[in-house]
Amino acid sequence: MSSWLDHTINGLIVGNVYALVAVGLALIFGVSRLINFAQGSIYLVGAYIGWIAVVHLHTPLPLTIVVVAVASAIVGLIIERFGLRPLQNSVRIAPLLATIGISFVLDQLVMLIFSPNPRALPSQLPDVRFQVGGGTIGPLDLLIAGVGLTSALLLFVFLRYTKLGWAVRATAQDRDAAMQMGVDVNRVNQAVFGIAAALGGVSGMLVGMYYNQIDTAMSLQATLKGVVAEVVGGAGNVPGAVIGSLLLGLVESYGVAVLGTSYRNLFAFLLLVVVLVLRPNGLFTSARQAPPEPLTGTFIAPSRPVNIPRWALWGATAGFAVLPLFPVSFYVLQTLINAWLLGMLGLSLTLVAGTMGQVSLGHAALLAIGAYTSALLSLTLDVPAGLAVIGGGLMSAALGTLLISPSFRLRGHYVSIATLAIGEIVALVILNWESVTRGPIGISGIPPLSLFGYDLISPTSVYWFSLAVMVVLALLQGRLLGSHLGRSFRAIRDDDIAARAYGLSLNRYKSLAFIFGGFAAGISGGIAAHLYSYINHETFNTQQSILALTVVILGGLGNVVGAIVGSVALVGLPEMFRIAAEYRILIYGIVLLLLVRFRPQGLLGTV
Amino acid sequence: MSNIDRRTLVKGSLAAMMAGTAVSRSAFAQTAEPILLGVSGPLTGPNAQYGAQWKQGFDLALDEIHAAGGINGRKLAYQFEDSQSDPRQSVAIAQKFVSDPRIVMELGDFSSPASMAASPIYQRGGLVQFGFTNSHPDFTKGGDFMWSTSVSQADEQPLLASYAVRRLGLKKLAVLHLNTDWGRTSRDHFVKAAKEYGAEVAVTEGYIAEERDFRSTLVRVRDASPDGLILISYYSDGALIARQARQVGLKQTICAASSVYSPKFLELGGEAVEDVHLGTRYFPQDPRPEVRKFIEGFKAKYNGQEPDAFNAYSYDAMNMAAAVVKIGGTDRRAIRDAFAKVKDVSSVIYGKATFDLESRRVKGAMNAELVVRKGQFALWDGKPT
Repeated sequence: MSSWLDHTINGLIVGNVYALVAVGLALIFGVSRLINFAQGSIYLVGAYIGWIAVVHLHTPLPLTIVVVAVASAIVGLIIERFGLRPLQNSVRIAPLLATIGISFVLDQLVMLIFSPNPRALPSQLPDVRFQVGGGTIGPLDLLIAGVGLTSALLLFVFLRYTKLGWAVRATAQDRDAAMQMGVDVNRVNQAVFGIAAALGGVSGMLVGMYYNQIDTAMSLQATLKGVVAEVVGGAGNVPGAVIGSLLLGLVESYGVAVLGTSYRNLFAFLLLVVVLVLRPNGLFTSARQAPPEPLTGTFIAPSRPVNIPRWALWGATAGFAVLPLFPVSFYVLQTLINAWLLGMLGLSLTLVAGTMGQVSLGHAALLAIGAYTSALLSLTLDVPAGLAVIGGGLMSAALGTLLISPSFRLRGHYVSIATLAIGEIVALVILNWESVTRGPIGISGIPPLSLFGYDLISPTSVYWFSLAVMVVLALLQGRLLGSHLGRSFRAIRDDDIAARAYGLSLNRYKSLAFIFGGFAAGISGGIAAHLYSYINHETFNTQQSILALTVVILGGLGNVVGAIVGSVALVGLPEMFRIAAEYRILIYGIVLLLLVRFRPQGLLGTV
Repeated sequence: MSNIDRRTLVKGSLAAMMAGTAVSRSAFAQTAEPILLGVSGPLTGPNAQYGAQWKQGFDLALDEIHAAGGINGRKLAYQFEDSQSDPRQSVAIAQKFVSDPRIVMELGDFSSPASMAASPIYQRGGLVQFGFTNSHPDFTKGGDFMWSTSVSQADEQPLLASYAVRRLGLKKLAVLHLNTDWGRTSRDHFVKAAKEYGAEVAVTEGYIAEERDFRSTLVRVRDASPDGLILISYYSDGALIARQARQVGLKQTICAASSVYSPKFLELGGEAVEDVHLGTRYFPQDPRPEVRKFIEGFKAKYNGQEPDAFNAYSYDAMNMAAAVVKIGGTDRRAIRDAFAKVKDVSSVIYGKATFDLESRRVKGAMNAELVVRKGQFALWDGKPT
């Protein structure tokens, strides 16, 4: 019995830690309707600034907190001024991508300056422990709880009782109306980013002290857990974020208690999905509140797609088809094979996210389902690889659509968060369902691709195969977009109420989009499995999902050719920057930011 | 199929002809051009720290190799390509190395998905893939061009089990392991050996690499009331677990796998890692000459920094590569065959390393039983803690 008390205490302690990130995220979401993926990076920056202050400047704790808060706030202001403000009037999705780019750049800068090796960040509080239940808590636990609660309380008071706070809330409710009433929206945004960044930085430092460890990998995890907690509490709701965090901590802790450590994150993401399905506005947001997402299609603004003449497309296809006949190195071919595989994933996501308006952040799960199905079919049932890949595509279409269907009623960012969670759940099921997936050991010895009894082993043949598959999928998708079905998809994206009034069944059309998209992604995963010969739960990770989304936004939402161009660019650019070694991801992030800044509708425009 | 293959051959030979110009040019300057090894590993991304440690070990080994006259008068160099431990990038790197005639063999990658995805390309391209941190049991089954000096967990874990059960007298164990292919394989070998030695394994808990909070896990461990904790961890997570174990009031003996052997473990763990036992392959005061040379050389080159396990792996790997290239020359096939010929290569991990031709791995890792005393790694004196 006493262990339940301990599990409860532990859950609250961890929830405490999550709350620090979630509050900052909630604040920004509340005002700018933006999931700030750079919040984890500010947290990272704060931790390292704290390290400099503590280890080199020997500042006392109160001064350390002030230094970190001020420095992080400055970083936040710079991000707001140069990264996000220029995107104010562009597509709603552009700032989201910009924060992803900013987080790349910040993480890489920290890694380059401080080396990726973890560092100890000694706590500056006296090391006394208080006995609580079977375990102990220290002064740092109390400080973290204090900072979390105080900041939530201060923010609550600020938002409710100060003039700037009113301005913030007015801006959150209706930006244009607020502007008309004379609210300086930019100043509001600045204030919010400054406060959120200061909070993020301080929390990174405190958490670093708590674990006596900081490293550059902490950023993405912080963002993930923060987003979950924030949404559980009700996106944009600051006190809700704190309670959501504590709840998340408790659920994880009890999950570990019941089933064991490797199920921990499974519980976190299941909690998120359940909350999203039952109470999409979060647990602590009243149902009366205006829907947090616009009803009509401002999430994805229409733009004029670049018109590429048909002969040019066929010419380019033919050019790539005959490329292996010229003396190009296998390295170039392999890079292009990667681009074609990513292209299939991009086609899938551009249909679902661009044409249908369901921005998925868990697309790697579809790859994984396709890859595992294909690998297991060919290994255990001796299905020829060519058929197994198709089986992978079908399984991905079926299972993917089934898994995603609970989130059909969600809109805008909530779809992204739900798909993010579903993606993580699939990865964790793969890790834990050992009797089928072989768990962390993974599946090795997957036979190479074969077609009609011929093995496709040489890079040239794999190149032709993957190019052909991608072209066929692209042609099908092109036909689809021009058909009645494609127009219905776009109608739902642009105005789902009007579409429904017109007699379109939303769920059915969303299912159709996911079936087609899931098939393309599953095929891509299946081919990858046979190409790699070995896969495990880490092969298709969250980074792949983010990469796929980047491809789609870069190419232009819903744009078939754009998805392929985007894939070639995003596979090619990091390879081209190889010469820059450690600096290449930094350069890649900067290029991404510049693209978003100057071409937010994507290279080829939204269709 | 045959059609495709012929075309590939034609294309391949065209590429070779193009490359041939480069080769013949370098042939004139035979002694000036260094012999080039390809390294595929993480320099950015979540595993970047390990790539940085590899570099330190490589560079130290190269300094010594060159001071001793290089490879028959020629210098040895490596080209490090960043894979981020991502299979998509490691396969592209594999093609890059295979089609670059200057590369005579490849080292890496770090993670199993990245390494083993690239194996078919190295195997078909006839370039040795020398994986020195690849403990996945299937790694060398990828083909006869896959060789590994990574300590097989079938070798390492019984040593750790023997330390914990026979020497420290622990009878009821809780095993915490990284839930990766390495952690799982290690756990299975450890549990098997520990049971053979007569201990009971009360609970095993796998955790993912990004995990930071272990308090709930440790309550589960406490409820199983073991008399010892076994950590199959890397140094950063190992330090976290040790700290939190003390915070939740677990006072049991902690025994850890050699992968925590790093000065960072002491730095990150602080007082909590005091009295932690660990089985390693060498220790700081080790009198073996190859260890003395490694540790002193490392400290001299890197401002007094203590080397860790990954530094030692990469240092050994570069020395092994040099020994192989000395026999095999610059021909890729001859290099593969040379792996079977090298004998008793001086090694920090193995003392003398010779490949087992069956498994293409090295057997018989050295063993040292250490304990953390006063914030330092020390040889265990046999006194209970």
